[in-house]
This record gives sequence, C-alpha cells and structure tokens, in this order.
Amino acid sequence: MGKIKVRVKINGKERSDEVEPRMLLAHYLRDVVGATGTHIGCDTSNCGACTVVMDGKAVKSCTVLVGQANGREIKTVEGLSQNGKLSKIQKAFLDKHGLQCGYCTSGMLMASYWLLKKNKKPTEEEIRRNLSGNLCRCTGYQNIVEAVKYASELIEKEGEEEEVVVESQ
Amino acid sequence: MITGQKFVEGKGTYVDDINLPGMLYMAIVRSPYSRAKIASLKGGLNSSDYEGRMASVGEGGSGEINIYSEPVFAQGYTSYLGQPVAAVFGEDRYKAEDLLNSVDVEYEPLKPVMEIDAALKADPIHPGTKNNILIDKWVGKEFKDTSSPIVLEDSFYNRRVATNPMEPRGVVATYDGNRLTMWASSQSSQSIKEGLVEAMNLSPDSVRVIQADTGGGFGLKGGLHPEYVIAAHAAMKYKRPVKWIETRSEHLSSSNPGRGARADIKIFAGKNGIINGVTGEVYVDAGAYGGFGEFAPRFIAYQLTGPYAIPNGYVRAIATLTNKVPQGPYRGAGRPEASYFIERMVDLLADELKMDPADVRIANMSSEPFKSPLGLEIGAAKPFFQDALKEFEYGKRFTSDTAGLGFFVLVPGIGPGEGARIKIEKGRVKVWLGGDTAGQGHQEFVRTLIREELGIASDLVELQLGDTDAVKRGVGAWGSRSAITAGAAVIAASGKIKDMVIKDFGDYSPENALSGSYDIDHFEEMKGTLNSFGANIAVADVSPLGAIRVKDCWSYYDVGRVLSKESVWGQIMGGIVQGIGQVVSEEIAYSDEGELLTGSIADSGVLSADQVPNFVVKVAENRSDLPHGVKGLGEAPTIGVPSALVRSIEKVTGKRIRDTPVRPEDIAEDF
Repeated sequence: MGKIKVRVKINGKERSDEVEPRMLLAHYLRDVVGATGTHIGCDTSNCGACTVVMDGKAVKSCTVLVGQANGREIKTVEGLSQNGKLSKIQKAFLDKHGLQCGYCTSGMLMASYWLLKKNKKPTEEEIRRNLSGNLCRCTGYQNIVEAVKYASELIEKEGEEEEVVVESQ
Repeated sequence: MITGQKFVEGKGTYVDDINLPGMLYMAIVRSPYSRAKIASLKGGLNSSDYEGRMASVGEGGSGEINIYSEPVFAQGYTSYLGQPVAAVFGEDRYKAEDLLNSVDVEYEPLKPVMEIDAALKADPIHPGTKNNILIDKWVGKEFKDTSSPIVLEDSFYNRRVATNPMEPRGVVATYDGNRLTMWASSQSSQSIKEGLVEAMNLSPDSVRVIQADTGGGFGLKGGLHPEYVIAAHAAMKYKRPVKWIETRSEHLSSSNPGRGARADIKIFAGKNGIINGVTGEVYVDAGAYGGFGEFAPRFIAYQLTGPYAIPNGYVRAIATLTNKVPQGPYRGAGRPEASYFIERMVDLLADELKMDPADVRIANMSSEPFKSPLGLEIGAAKPFFQDALKEFEYGKRFTSDTAGLGFFVLVPGIGPGEGARIKIEKGRVKVWLGGDTAGQGHQEFVRTLIREELGIASDLVELQLGDTDAVKRGVGAWGSRSAITAGAAVIAASGKIKDMVIKDFGDYSPENALSGSYDIDHFEEMKGTLNSFGANIAVADVSPLGAIRVKDCWSYYDVGRVLSKESVWGQIMGGIVQGIGQVVSEEIAYSDEGELLTGSIADSGVLSADQVPNFVVKVAENRSDLPHGVKGLGEAPTIGVPSALVRSIEKVTGKRIRDTPVRPEDIAEDF
C-alpha cells in the first residue's frame, strides 16, 4: 500500500511521518508516535476512550484518518500536565476519585478539558450531556461529574494554566 | 487520596501498550453463523494444527477438561457466532486484519438452537451427546404443602448482558524456548496460568503470567479464553511474541456474557404474608460449551430463599446448551439472578395480599441467624432491614406507590482463601496479591492494612500487578472477596514479618522493619461463609413510549469496616449503574435464526453520564469477625438495584414486569 506523508503537531511538538493512508489517528498516536495514553475501547465511535483535542476541538481519534490530521495540532492526555505539574482537570480527577481502572480516563479528561475551554462554569446537566459520548463502566459517573465541577472551581479561583509552547524539532 | 496519578497522565501500561521486538499481531477468523458445518477450511492456524480444548478455570471453574469443554479452534462445525475458526498473524494490526481474507472457509449453515426451551426439545447440538442438558440437579429437600392458602407462580428471565469492561480482553505471549510468558489484562493471573498449563499440557514451572494494568474486568477476565491459548501456541510455534487485542465487536460476539438465567418459581404462603416454601426450576443458558454454566444454576438455586427465613425449599437447577457464546460470570455471577427471582415473588405476594412490600419482607425475616433448606446461611435479617427502612425514610421520602425496594444477602466467594506477598527492601514495601485488581482500588486497602499492622506510611507501600512468579499461590479477584481474603492474607503475612523483626531487633518498630530485608509469601486458607445484607430503593420515571429514567436510587449496604472510603463508594456507585443498565437497556440479543442483533457497545446498552442521576449511598459498618472487620461489597449493587428498580417500573406503569431488560414495548402506554 502506498504511503502518505503527514505533518502533525502533537502536544506542541511537530513531527512528520510516512504512514498508510488508511491509518486511524488513534493508531498513529499509539503505534507510530508511541503516545499510548490514548486508548481504544470500541470500534464504533461510541466509547470516547480515544478522545483527543484536534485544533482546539475534542474528536474521537478512532474516527479520524491520520491524513485528516495533516497540518493540525493535536493535544493528547500526555500533553495535559506542564513541566511535570498536573493540570487542574487531572488534579480534580485524582482528588475527587473520578477514575477507577483508568482506561476511559484519558478520553474523559480530554472531553472535560475541552468542555471547560468552551464553558468555564458548566452546570451538572451540561457536564453530563457533554460527557455522554464517553463511556465509563467503573465509576457510575458521579465522581467524574464532581471532578469536572471541582476543576471548574479551581480554574475560577486560580485561573487557567498557561499553555507551554514546545519548540518544534 | 486514591492512587491513579499514572492514569491521569496517560502513563498506565495496559496490555496493548506492551510491544516486544519482532512481535506479531493476531487476528481471529470467527464463525459468522451461530451453527454451521465447516465444509472446507484452508489457511491460517486452525484445528488441523491445534486440537486442544479449554480448561475450566477461574470463578466457578471445575478445573476439568470434559466432553463439553470448548475446543480452542472449532473442529468440523461451529457452535456459536464468533467462535474462533482460525488465526492469522501479521507484522502490524492492519496487516493481521488484511490476512483474515487469506483464510478460505466454506460453511454449511445449520438451524441453530437459540433459547433454553428450544434446547430442551432439540436434538443435541454436539454429536455424540444425548441431549442439550449440561447439568440437572435438585437442591434442597422435597416437601408437600397442602395447607398454605396462597400459592403463587411466575416466570422470570434475566437476559444475557455483556460484561463490557472499557478495556477489552488482550494478551501478549512470548516464548524463549523454555518458558512461556504471557502478559494479560486480568483479574487472576493465577487462573490464566492454571488454564494454560492444563489446556496446553505444560509444566507449571514453564509458564509465567503477568498482569498488565487492567481496564476493568467484571468477571470476564478471571479465566482462560481460547484466544489466549491460540496466542500462546503461536508464540511457541513461530518463536516470536504474539499480541492479541480484542475489538469491541469481538467482545460482543465472542466474550463470555453474564446473566442468561430464567426461573419458574412457586411460593406457598399464609394470609399473613409468611412464606412457607419455595419451589421451582432455575434454567441457565450455558451457551455452546461447559464452564461457568456448570456451576451457575446450582449457585442460583442455593440462594433462592434470599434473605428470608423460608422453612421449605426444593429447586431444580438446570443448564442447557444453546448455540451461543458460552456464558460466564458477570458482576454478581448468580447472586443477582437469585435475588431478582425471589424479590419478584415477594412483591407479587405483597400485591396479592394488598400488603406493603416492606411488611411482607419483614414478615419473612428472622431476628436470629437462619440456615435455609437450600443450604444458605444468613445472619439476623430483620434488624438490618428495619435500619434500612429508617435510612431510606421509607413511608415519608419514599412510599410503595412509586418506589421499589430490593433486599438481599450477598454471598462472597471466600474459599479457599487468597495469597499475598510482602517484601520490605531498601526502606520500601512491595505487596503482591493472589488476585489481580482491575480498577477496584486494592492498593487502598493494602495500604490501610500495612499502615495498621506494620505502622508503615502509605507512601512507602506499593501494590504490584499480578505475577505468577511473584506469588506462589493465589485465587482471583471476583465474588466480592478481595478485601476479605487478600486482606486477611496481608494481615497474616504482616504478622510473620513482625515476628521476624522482633527476632532480629528484640522489638518491633516500623523503623526496624524498614531498615531490614523481609520477604513473606503467605496463602491464607479460608472457608465458611461471611454473608452480609444490603437494601436498595429506587424510583423510576417512564415516558408514554416506554423510555425509563431513574429518578432516585439509594443504597444501604452492610460493608463491614470501611478500609477505604473512596474505594467503597466508588464500587457502589459504579455497580449501581450496571444494575440500572441491566434493567433499562443492557442486552446481548440474537434473532431466532441466530444473527447477533447487538452490533455496538451502544446497542449493548452501557449507560452514559446523561442517562443516570446522582445516587445516595449509605453504609452500615457492622464489623465482621475477621481481624480487619470487613465484609463483601463489590457485587452488592448489581444484586440489589435490579429488583428495586423493576418494582418501581411496575408501580409506575401498572404492568407486571418479569424480564430484564425491560423493553419499551413491555411498558409503553397502549395507543
């Protein structure tokens, strides 16, 4: 199969690779980039474990061909903490016990990160609706909702993290 | 704080994150028919290369290979949709998928046997067997009741549901010429090893199973699966590491689902609501092969009196073979089914006598411990239930007009105990358990116990993932057993370390312990029962078209002593959503012709955040007699929630509910 060249900025770092055009962004991140924090939990775009933020918008990376990501900027769970310091949404998930097995967590974090970018003070209903594309089998969601609320409070109190710009290679 | 930092940073190591040099990816050619003759088969690794059968290990496993054991590859015919027929191996996951087309299989479809009743009448699905009855036993003692004025009969069905951990199954197998090493997403590395040893006829020393971070299990990941044997065999044959990661589609067609149990129940009662006897038949849809299905019907029958002091009981326990993927344990594994069946009958009796369901329940409870005619031992139920009604503000906040009650006894799987190893070295403590944590937070109770027993601060204590080379003997994490059994093993191992420290230093102090090197691997033998009570109350809202929304769901469980509040509450809230899911949406469904109707995780009914409310969780901390005072917990919500919720749906709609999931057509208003 012929290959295509893609140039993608991942967590602030630019890279280019030659890949099969049929490759999904989720597999590209996991198998080519080695960013295995992005998980795959289904094959029908239902579960949201593979959620990443592409050009500022949450997408399910199992539904994006890597060619569609060409020239774009991707943020994955690995890009949430800055200089070894957990971001507010990560801290909130830990403090509110918003995870158990950890498998859906990356997608939950990225969907929540995006939600809080567009809506700094979401209501409980808005949180639940915005996370409806991310399935969790362990927590019953209550603590995840609490965590997003708590992160929203932290952001209100302390402000958003500054995005650290990583120099491209 | 619960430990999970590596997960929020995306730094977990799940099995699909493990990559070895030269690794092959495995993909499986699966039967597209529920039942078919294999007229011809060319290509891939198949039954002509490997003829072995599966060993029944893990929860409810018999440890045996018998005529009903599943062949690793279908041999001559297929018996369920999704059954492995052949395996192919590629340099990456895309190439492995491509290679599926290189296998040429010609099937001659046969009429499948899809339901329990059909199985009882049909010719045997397996040639050389007499019928489709996997097991047929009576539990209890025959009795005659000609004097009870009320005799009620009904039939119920808990249809099959997928376990659906968010991380599907997966293994990486490698062979160095002497030893097979397998990394697995696992609830029991020990059981997987035992299964590989038996199924592949290997020596125990030549197999090591290591747990990877495990993204949920819910019963599925405690035993052996055909794909694990195929991956192991291929790693040995090709002398290259082999990775297999299940897709969700494969999960829905080919991983062992839970429930799939039906019952015809008859109760004999007085006009005062006192039940004098219970009798009937429990049927389990075992699917195409033996395994958990051999154990499940008797386990359900044994619990059929629930938490009630019913003096007579005689129950027939049957498992039938059908052309479906073999049934397996799913959170509760027989406990929710038994509770559902008896709770439905108790509610029916309340309606018959126009009594409040709470009063009928109280009428059948003992203030003393009770041993049922089916063998179930329970403590005094009445005081706990009366507390539960108070906690629920029953009669005020909730009334029987709209709210449904569920009352149950949780029977944890205690025997034969569990293993634990504690190693102190360079001022840090490493702990291994015989059962593998799959997200329940075993690390938390381990840290609590080490802090209490050895006085060592939690940040110095790390729970390690399961590893059959690290712990000599272990059982598995299922059956609400880990805090009980692995906790007891940690305490016993701590005691031994304490003795050694005293021997070395003259007295015990955490500083002394941390300054030395100690390594204790201990198996704590345990038997008997440690049953505990729980209650739920739920209120449903049903739309005219039959869509169900849960408005309220409260829990009150006796969990014994709480070792980690986060873990206990987390277990309860997560289990509640699974309990609700079983009632409102979860199902693995087939057509009569054997087509799988459940095509995605959404179809299988896993609920999302916007479909459930917040829950009220209350616990009773009545200490058990164990040194650490704990009781079972993990399965409580999937036992208690379904019967409570179904009762509420029944009250709200005025329609008798018998089966789960409740389908919209069962309850929609008549137009």
